[in-house]
Amino acid sequence: MVEDYDREDVENDVDAEEPSEARTEERRGEARRGGGRPAADQRRKRRLCPFCVENVKTIDYKNTMLLRQFISRSGRIVARRKAGTCAKHQRMVARAIKRARHIALLPFTASHTHSAR
Amino acid sequence: MRTYEVVFIAQPGLDDEGLASLVETVKRAVTENGGEIVKEEMMGRRKLAYPIRRYEEGHYVLLHASLERPALNELERRLKLSEDVLRHLIVRLDEVA
Repeated sequence: MVEDYDREDVENDVDAEEPSEARTEERRGEARRGGGRPAADQRRKRRLCPFCVENVKTIDYKNTMLLRQFISRSGRIVARRKAGTCAKHQRMVARAIKRARHIALLPFTASHTHSAR
Repeated sequence: MRTYEVVFIAQPGLDDEGLASLVETVKRAVTENGGEIVKEEMMGRRKLAYPIRRYEEGHYVLLHASLERPALNELERRLKLSEDVLRHLIVRLDEVA
């Protein structure tokens, strides 16, 4: 069960690193095929930070329903590039998650779940 | 004077009476040192996200207290000392609400 979570996570991580791999390959290869910036209409539209849209000033560490959306199934904090939050709100989310973990409202890892017993 | 949010987890073995007296002790640590309890909320018995000292559950208690720095140190010292408190967290209220 736990392995399932991890596999999912690894997959995602590999996905995330793909651009950098592609870049090095491109640099090594003689011909730069299809390089350059995609046209404006092809670029993925940058999502607005979900907290900025709501004009959020503070994030409560007790709001586990909200914070759970920002932890992966293995319990890790979701990266900013995946969560789509701005730097400011990501810091607030991260701090809130860490506080929630301290008082056992959120797990540190998936292996913390009670299935272990 | 600053207002802080104090959350602590009491050991699940406590009965209503034991819990009430523990909360009372904590509150006294505030009031005896010139502080003031602004809000008190029993968040109830909840399942812990991970076991602490082999306990799977705990009584969550939330307090808002206005106090000076030395009183805060004393409060924290007592929370750490108490065997019935599994975990505590003190944050400045302006950071959360």
